[in-house]
Amino acid sequence: MAQLKNQMDFQVKFLQPTGTVAATVPVGTTVLAAARQAGILLESPCNGNGTCGKCRVKVAKVIRLACQASVESDLDVEILNRRDSHDVQILQHGHALAITVDNRMSKEYDAATDTTRIVADGEVLGVEVGNTASAHYGIVVDIGTTTLVTALYNLNSGEEIASTAELNPQSHHAQDVLSRIKLASTAEGLQLLHSDFIQALNRMIRVVVEQSEIDLHHIYEIVFSGNTCMLHLAINVNPVSMGKFPYTPAIYGDESYRADQYGIEIAPFAQIYLPPVMSAYVGADITSGVLAAQLEKLKGITLFVDIGTNGEMILAVDGRMVATSTAAGPAFEGMNIACGMRAAPGAIEKFRLDENGETEVTTIGDQPAIGICGSGLVDIIGELVKHGHIRPNGKLAESPFQVTEKVFVSQKDIRQVQLAKGAIRAGIETMLERTGVQAEAVDRVYIAGSFGYHLNPDSLIHIGLLPPTFRDKIEFLGNTSKTGGQAFLLNQSLRRKMAKLVETVEIIELATIGNFDKLFIHCLSF
Amino acid sequence: MSTKKDKLFQKLSDAVVEMNEEEAIRISHEIITEGIDAYEAIENGLSLGMDRAGKLFEEEEYFIPELLLCSDAMYAGLEVLKPHIKLDAQGEKHKVVIGVVEGDTHDIGKNLVKIVLETSGFEVFDLGRDIPPQQFVDKAKEVKANIIAIATLMTTTMEGMERVIRILQQEKVRDEYKVIVGGAPISQSFADKIGADAYAVNAAAAVKIAKRLVG
Repeated sequence: MAQLKNQMDFQVKFLQPTGTVAATVPVGTTVLAAARQAGILLESPCNGNGTCGKCRVKVAKVIRLACQASVESDLDVEILNRRDSHDVQILQHGHALAITVDNRMSKEYDAATDTTRIVADGEVLGVEVGNTASAHYGIVVDIGTTTLVTALYNLNSGEEIASTAELNPQSHHAQDVLSRIKLASTAEGLQLLHSDFIQALNRMIRVVVEQSEIDLHHIYEIVFSGNTCMLHLAINVNPVSMGKFPYTPAIYGDESYRADQYGIEIAPFAQIYLPPVMSAYVGADITSGVLAAQLEKLKGITLFVDIGTNGEMILAVDGRMVATSTAAGPAFEGMNIACGMRAAPGAIEKFRLDENGETEVTTIGDQPAIGICGSGLVDIIGELVKHGHIRPNGKLAESPFQVTEKVFVSQKDIRQVQLAKGAIRAGIETMLERTGVQAEAVDRVYIAGSFGYHLNPDSLIHIGLLPPTFRDKIEFLGNTSKTGGQAFLLNQSLRRKMAKLVETVEIIELATIGNFDKLFIHCLSF
Repeated sequence: MSTKKDKLFQKLSDAVVEMNEEEAIRISHEIITEGIDAYEAIENGLSLGMDRAGKLFEEEEYFIPELLLCSDAMYAGLEVLKPHIKLDAQGEKHKVVIGVVEGDTHDIGKNLVKIVLETSGFEVFDLGRDIPPQQFVDKAKEVKANIIAIATLMTTTMEGMERVIRILQQEKVRDEYKVIVGGAPISQSFADKIGADAYAVNAAAAVKIAKRLVG
């Protein structure tokens, strides 16, 4: 018997190369919502605001934005090819850091009963048959807004034995942190984002377990290192209070949770640890960064910057720290840029221009150039500024600039980069001013994040994201969220220590600084 | 005489476009010395210069810093000319109530719109940031505003804009004000969805739209 259909419901068929999937939805539902219901991944980084233009589909032979097209009849929707949804290039090697292994979990073999007990804080969490003391593993998940990295560690030796990465599936529904907070403010939205993460995590755990040929039941602890919003979503806590002034997180980290309550497929009594966070916009990933870079121990003046959609930064003066974050926007992720794309094969990641106007273009995977990722964009604009093709006010001599036959940079793209780099530079200047430090006095500049690793330090100076006096002081630390997470996993005494340390960090809220307007606008020029 | 006057207005307008504060002051003084009408000089010199600057911004020739430098030159000229305006010469200005929605403290964009609206002859009442929806409505009623301009940078606070419009409807005064919305997460479709009168993509567009809405 045919299924009864409500009169005001319509069927939407999604046609894609892998087969057709259908969803039945009430009249007026957006095609994007119907796609989500059908379990189809449509890129919708702006979460249906109609601003990013990434959810293009073909409805009745017309290209439309899925988030703006509503279902008023039965529909056939053709899913268009997405160019940047696979094979994301991710940095998986961080700054090396020496850590004493001092696990929270210990395994004790009892020969009399031939069992092995798993103990934490003097409490027996579980018992295993036989002597399993040598099989002792833990995991660190670097929960990036865009990318997830999962690494498996031998808790006895402290060594990394396997790691894997995936695109954060939440980014298909909402690209940036604010869009994710908004989506998660409803119960269904939070459920969607949380379960997407848990599914991806379980997939990645199976990958590292297979790579290393261990039993997943021998994984006892897992550290989630990520920004404050990502931590909320990872343990299913509504982040809505972070989306509005005074931007208060619901959780501050430095806490453990039971992994089985979240459906994480490891030892049944395993625990999740969240490192301490500093504020809504300076999260556990940055705390991990502080730990990985050993900022509190360094003599002199150190600037730590994580360049991304939210540029988080810390200035440490003989171990005393101030921190802030700036709304840089997604330009450095290749978003809102005409030919912008994520760091995927075919993305221009490096660019050189010589005196004769000859160009040298490097793409990821040596594929034909199809777009520009963040590091390529910084390089291109840096070179154009250096050679006078972009004036100090940001005006491009000849717009658009053709990087290759098909890929170009427009005047609007340059404006986007000006806004992004202006925000980060103004944040740096504010911290320097607050601490009374001259830019020349800064001893070292650490750039964190996998995006940072691919950057050319000179280009950062050419575009004015960093002042010229930082030349030769710039060092790329790689994924410090992961290396710091590893330190948190392996050494329990660091947890308490870092929780205390973050309480002493002064957080500057840039939006409340009186002259920030003027400073920001001043920092827009090249 | 009229050619002399037109020449000075042109120079004044050029001084604004060229971001030349000193020149704007010098020409303004010359206008006063020549006995030329100050109000006319503001309209056909300074304001015209800002219009041209706004156009250059739209054409992506100018960016935010230039626009602000132009407005600095405009204000400098205004300082000189203002005391010489004949009392009856200046008509009633159109009024705009502007603010950043509740929950959001990012106000750089709002401040920019405020400046260009002022330099284009609007009287602007700036509520500031983190403003509850009711406050927009109350202020608009109090000052008999023509336009309510609402800004936000954050996706998470966009709904506050819709609430302003709902309150206007509930209080049966929706038709008395034009509502312009803008900010990074805002789009034309969002403006349409919440029933705003217009969406402004940037400061220059905001001025153009504001003029059209009260025109």
